[in-house]
Amino acid sequence: MHHGLRLAAITLLLAALPAAALQLQPDPAGLNSAELNTSRQLLDEVQQLLPPLLQEQLPHTLHIGWSRLPAHIMGRATASGRILLNHHWLQTLVANPQATNLPGRQHPSLRHELQATLIHELAHLYDRGRFWPPARRSLQARCRTLQKTIGHAGLPQQCHGQTNRRFTLSDDPHLLDLAGWPQETGQKGRRTANNHQQLRSPDAYERARPAEFVAVNLEYFLLDPTYACRRPAMAAYLQQHFSWSPPHTVSCPSGLPHLNAGLDAETPLARLHPERIYQVHYLLAEPDNSWAGRWGHSMLRLVVCAPQRQPGPDCLLDLEHHLVLSYRAFVEDLQLSNWKGLSGVYPSRLFILPLQQVVEEYTRTELRSLASIPLALKPAQIQRLAQQAVTQHWSYDGRYYFISNNCAVETLKLLRSASPGPALHSLDSQTPAGLLQALKNRNLADTSALDNRNDAMRKGLFFDSHRERYHQLFAAVREALHVPQQRFESWLQQSALHRRPLLARSPDMRTTAALLVLEQAALRQQLQHIRNDLKLRYLGNHNDKALAETGQLMAGLLHDSSFLSRPADLLPQGYGLPQSADWHDPQHAVQQRYDRLRQMAGELEQRLPQLLTRAQNDELTAIQHNLHQLEQRLKQQHEQQGGLLLP
Amino acid sequence: MRQLSLIATLGLALLAGTASASSLVASTDTLGTSLAKSSKGSSNASSSVGDDKVVLEAREDAAAFVGSNGSLRGAYLEAALQHIRQQIPGLHATDMQLAEAILAL
Repeated sequence: MHHGLRLAAITLLLAALPAAALQLQPDPAGLNSAELNTSRQLLDEVQQLLPPLLQEQLPHTLHIGWSRLPAHIMGRATASGRILLNHHWLQTLVANPQATNLPGRQHPSLRHELQATLIHELAHLYDRGRFWPPARRSLQARCRTLQKTIGHAGLPQQCHGQTNRRFTLSDDPHLLDLAGWPQETGQKGRRTANNHQQLRSPDAYERARPAEFVAVNLEYFLLDPTYACRRPAMAAYLQQHFSWSPPHTVSCPSGLPHLNAGLDAETPLARLHPERIYQVHYLLAEPDNSWAGRWGHSMLRLVVCAPQRQPGPDCLLDLEHHLVLSYRAFVEDLQLSNWKGLSGVYPSRLFILPLQQVVEEYTRTELRSLASIPLALKPAQIQRLAQQAVTQHWSYDGRYYFISNNCAVETLKLLRSASPGPALHSLDSQTPAGLLQALKNRNLADTSALDNRNDAMRKGLFFDSHRERYHQLFAAVREALHVPQQRFESWLQQSALHRRPLLARSPDMRTTAALLVLEQAALRQQLQHIRNDLKLRYLGNHNDKALAETGQLMAGLLHDSSFLSRPADLLPQGYGLPQSADWHDPQHAVQQRYDRLRQMAGELEQRLPQLLTRAQNDELTAIQHNLHQLEQRLKQQHEQQGGLLLP
Repeated sequence: MRQLSLIATLGLALLAGTASASSLVASTDTLGTSLAKSSKGSSNASSSVGDDKVVLEAREDAAAFVGSNGSLRGAYLEAALQHIRQQIPGLHATDMQLAEAILAL
């Protein structure tokens, strides 16, 4: 190497070192020379792993003592700022440098476990040191002054959670959102006591307290090359905080793995590509009259572009690629109980569903419209939202409370964790419509595109309830065919056989098409009717053996489908988002579970016709016949008028 | 894949309240595929465009569009119209003609 170049390289190296770097010194008291050597080596290894910022901030020299702690305690940081590790495990490591880890611990070897312990305790010291960057420090000071003068209620948004900071990281509002201690609604910013991001955790201790969460996550951030793939949002947070990433960080497979909760999905295990999301919409199902639906339902819609398309407005019509994030109670019982809903018995889980399924369910089955309102999120925020949503999908199992932890509250919490800006932190709403209003007030949601209903429908921003379609089409049919019934409901109340003669009189495609839609409405109504009847019979009559067996099968199916909303149940290995090392042939494993569900569903299907009454069966068959007849008629009329054939 | 049609509509039926409580209910809906589609005519035309998912998904919207003489115009139809025109660039046809062609598939 050229002399001058070498000098430059050395200068660079020196410049990279922090001015007063931390030194980890073993306290030699009670150690023999082999133990001292091993200890020194261990401390050097850890020293290499630490972020430069942390090394600058902590005291110049830290003495690490080895003391006789109870066997189950690996180490602790004392109130005076010393770190003590368990001497017993140092002895074990000296005796066998390759020692495997203790049962119940997660790191791969005893050496790693001791490194992790030291990192964990250093993290506590760092967290207690209040090492805030200057800008943050002056913000906090300003906020405290404001609180003294104008009180809590008048504090500006960016002061929320900043007036009483005591830790470098573990009381940062954004960290708490990511970690799983979100704000409760209507509690003036107070955070939940329990952390429900409980599945696929590397170490259950992380949920004990935010300080432990920080310490455990720093262990994995520094020691596990796959941490950023498993906990992308937390990794990004720590990288940003330290302005640094661990040199060992591996590049992650493209796309975030998730389970498609739609059973007829082509690939049960799919990947969400955040860079392909054009927009995020607030998806609001209008209220209905049912007890549980009277407030409407809040969801988020990810406008995912088709693979070949650049993100842009054209993606709005790539409907088959869009996904819906929907928090719902998981109800395993055969009957929904209002009491259980109020008292938090049902789990609250995040379902990732194809948009198509959601549109079908609301607009066709429940006859409720869906409004899709674009949210003003930047690409980086959209990426964070996707990361946090998929993280919740694999880790979250909360409690559903009709009032205080319902879909609107859950959706707000997810939005908050995605956009650390202050705007969402002071926002507080417990109802879907209230949340939309609050988002509008802060210019985060723009409903102007929905002002023109027809336009919004064409653009895929409004999905109309089919109830409105039925009424409009019935009016057209009534005029064309001189139907005696005044109201659509009366038309539907007739039996399919009574409607049939009129169907044959339809003069043109227009009328036949309208009749087809109305007959589909008849089919849905008939199914709804059978559904209610079966329910009443099942609940009211415990002696009907066939019904009881079917009910049991149904309960089994529901129970087995639990993994769709709690995919962590599929694989015991690893933590965070699943990586290839966690399961052998993931598609196969998921496919097996899907196949089993389908098989159970098939069995149920075979049993069901026997449960219908003769009259129910006849009516169902007659409607199907009508539908078939209308479809044939459409084809004939199309042919007669020389209609266009798609090539 | 519509083998779940009956279960979707009847099986789920045993579940009380669920039909009207989708904001609370989960797994039941996840099985849901509407029976309306089971009545879908078999696509005997062997056309490539007509077999495309985006076109098949537009059948209900197409029926409403034709039945309302063009005033009910849903997003699924819109997506299908765009798709067809992209696939067949030289095609001269009105929206109504295309919607009728979808219905006649």
